[in-house]
Amino acid sequence: MLDERRTAIHNSNLIAFLGGSFASFGFFFLPVIEIKPNRLASGLPVSLLEIPGDMRYLLLFLLALTPVLLAFVGDRNRRGWALVAVGNLIVVLTLYLPALAGSAYLSGAEALFEAGTRISNPRILTSAGIATGLAGGAITLFAGLLDLERSGASRLARGLAGAVGALVVIVMLAGGRLDVYSIMVEYHARGEALALRFLEHIVFVLVALAAGLIVGIALGLWASRDARAEDAILYAVGIIQTVPSLALFGILLVPLARLGDAHFLSLARDWLLLAGLALAAALVLRRFHARLPERTRQFSLVTVIFLALIPLALLAVLIIAFGFEVVLTILTMAELALLRSLTGLAIFVFPIFMSAGKRYDLERKLPHYQRLRFLPLLAAALGGLTLLAQGAGELLGTNELAELTIRDFGVSGIGTAPAIIALTLYSLLPLVRNTYAGLKNIDPAIIDSGKGMGFTAAQSFFRIELPLAFPVIMAGVRNAAISLVGIAAVASIIGAGALGDFILLGVNSTSIDQILLGAVPAVLLAVILDAALKVLEGLLTSPGIRQA
Amino acid sequence: MIEFKDVIKEYPNGFRAVDDLNLTVRDGEICVLIGPSGCGKTTALRMVNRLIDVTRGEILIDGQPNDEFEPEVLRRQIGYAIQQIGLLPHMTIRDNVAIVPRLLDWDEERIRQRVDLLLDMVGIDPSIHGDKYPRQLSGGQQQRVGVARALGADPPIMLMDEPFGAVDPITRAILQEEFLQIQQEVSKTIIFVTHDIDEAIYMGDRIALLRAGRLVQYDTPDDLLAMPRDDFVREFVGADRSLKRLHLISVKDSMMNNVPCCDHDASLEEVAACLQRRQSDSAFVVDASSGVLLGWVERADLAESRSLAEAMHHAPAGSIAVPEDATAREALSVLLSHSFDLTPVIDAEGVLTGGVSIQRLQDLVEAPGIHAAAQPERRR
Repeated sequence: MLDERRTAIHNSNLIAFLGGSFASFGFFFLPVIEIKPNRLASGLPVSLLEIPGDMRYLLLFLLALTPVLLAFVGDRNRRGWALVAVGNLIVVLTLYLPALAGSAYLSGAEALFEAGTRISNPRILTSAGIATGLAGGAITLFAGLLDLERSGASRLARGLAGAVGALVVIVMLAGGRLDVYSIMVEYHARGEALALRFLEHIVFVLVALAAGLIVGIALGLWASRDARAEDAILYAVGIIQTVPSLALFGILLVPLARLGDAHFLSLARDWLLLAGLALAAALVLRRFHARLPERTRQFSLVTVIFLALIPLALLAVLIIAFGFEVVLTILTMAELALLRSLTGLAIFVFPIFMSAGKRYDLERKLPHYQRLRFLPLLAAALGGLTLLAQGAGELLGTNELAELTIRDFGVSGIGTAPAIIALTLYSLLPLVRNTYAGLKNIDPAIIDSGKGMGFTAAQSFFRIELPLAFPVIMAGVRNAAISLVGIAAVASIIGAGALGDFILLGVNSTSIDQILLGAVPAVLLAVILDAALKVLEGLLTSPGIRQA
Repeated sequence: MIEFKDVIKEYPNGFRAVDDLNLTVRDGEICVLIGPSGCGKTTALRMVNRLIDVTRGEILIDGQPNDEFEPEVLRRQIGYAIQQIGLLPHMTIRDNVAIVPRLLDWDEERIRQRVDLLLDMVGIDPSIHGDKYPRQLSGGQQQRVGVARALGADPPIMLMDEPFGAVDPITRAILQEEFLQIQQEVSKTIIFVTHDIDEAIYMGDRIALLRAGRLVQYDTPDDLLAMPRDDFVREFVGADRSLKRLHLISVKDSMMNNVPCCDHDASLEEVAACLQRRQSDSAFVVDASSGVLLGWVERADLAESRSLAEAMHHAPAGSIAVPEDATAREALSVLLSHSFDLTPVIDAEGVLTGGVSIQRLQDLVEAPGIHAAAQPERRR
């Protein structure tokens, strides 16, 4: 008897139970919308069951209850399909029905409020009930997909079934069916700015990620090879992570402001001097290091490294900050649209062309394939360079060389430069740690056999160690990407733009719509970026080391 | 040819892993380095392809010091197989075997042919396993691929550091035998490290026994067993060294051709005369026309019988005899399990060709190195 009950619980879908209770609980106790007479006055909360009129609101509530019962149906396959259908339906209706009710409320807004209330641009705010409804619907959908996976439904069928609700929502958005919500009103008013900020956000994250990847892999490699540097590097990146982002922006403000004031020519001169000095020191050390006593040798090695780090860091900051400005300019200049898409196409085609060569044996079928395959790369490079030149020209073209300051390159105490530097620093912890762990965990026998067969150190790194550590490094990249999406929102405080602009503005004016307008795209960006990186990881990881 | 000349490996803390090693490995020979752990055998091996640098002295490869090559160039000309195998898990079996040819920039068609040839040679079907990844193969199959990979670019020299160490004893024995067959074909100059004296005796043309970095004895397996230089060697090869030597000797080389025997249709008088003539208490009985061994007859049985057929003991040849290609050790085993003073030897058809006596085996074990020429015989 007890065993039977246990099996029954084991076979039931408790996630669906949770999703159903979540949605129905919200519909019963929480307001789904809030009607505000104007922008500032407090609104009138309305729960789903309070909405007057026909039965469909009650039906939505009952629909939200069904997963609670469906959870105990025995047939896994049928239960899965039912849950997927109900989940999709809850998601769509949770957005659609309150919008219908909202329009009705708006047309009779005067009657709702006390006489004397100023009614100007009355609006419908989405409220907590919609959030719980969406979450409950999504959980139900997820529970259904889990059932389907276990009952052996095909991946394609599951993918399509899971996406139906989202597709309907997109169609509703595009068709203006949800325009009554104030967040949509806000979106229509500021859509163009939103697109630009969104773009900025993406570029921020990707540029910082790329810079972090180069530095992170280098540091991770160093830590994995040098027992003495190991602890220092891992501690250092750990400590960076503990500095609050606001404080880090503040710390970067002063030196970057000073750097921004410098004239380009004088800085270039100083830079050449520094770089030359470092190079000379390195050459001298290389010549004599065998003869130096152990201590002196170490000390001079560290000195030379630091000497070299200063010009390198300067150059990196300049290139990244200027690169960001240039990229943004390229992306927003209308006259570059054609070249932009052509270059994008070439970049997209190149890897396909390369891999097609192996798969379809083009090397033999297509004469000159060996040379032809680099054609898309060449096109992409040419297009990219032209784009860069155009963007740089647009930014700097009007200035005299002698008057050019570093600020013209986008480096100053506030804005892009400190934001990207801070983001790069924050990306280091997961990148360095995972690179280190990935490299350290490789079986030494594998590296030894590679060395014994005649791999050079570089070949061993790129052909053995990097591919083997790749999944672990990618886990770090995904980790870093998601946290960067979040931190990039804070960069708005120092005038760097991005989606944080909307959030800050919303917080300052207690406008939830504004906050959501910034937050929802940020969340979407994080989810999409994570999924894209996961797909990339899957494509680039050898089947020989993929997790089964 | 590989020559170690006064080679010393000394670490900064003063520890000498290899101490004044002088050793010559001749072309086409397997030289086994053996000794207790920490004796420097792996260090000596890894100095050949410069995975470890020599402190003093030099290692000559075909007369040329090995530090005249770039390390990578040198290593690509020397096959390398290790106990942990070290197959690259992210590459297919084919790609693993193709590593060194690719490093040497062979063209793809030639590589494809070479890889398939090598995989076939080590008993891995390239059409079935070629595109699999290492983790999809068993330990034994991985060791085979490891050997194929070491042979990849057809290097004249191979370094093998316990290459069959990671598999169970049965698989190991099969791999050893197969590798000796391959070596018959390819005839590489091989340095082979092991800690297993039986493997050393079976695989080695010569065995170099090391202790604390020093070469104690360098001899053929047979001489090492016959004439251990000191107590350390004697103890290392084990108290059963005589038995081990017998393992090296084939029956064919140790048997006497002239054994007491008579045809199955002989009369009792003829048999008695034969026994008398040979001063023996028993004789083997063979088929008069084919010479196939049928059984034996003893002097004591003659008196009570009317014919040889009645007096003789019938026995299927396999149960009392050993084949010609067996080792002397197997012959001894049969000797001990029957009460004969002579174990009959038969050929593939069952024809009696000779016999092995305990006296003969004793003589063999006591005489040093008489059958050095017979050694290749055991590599059938």
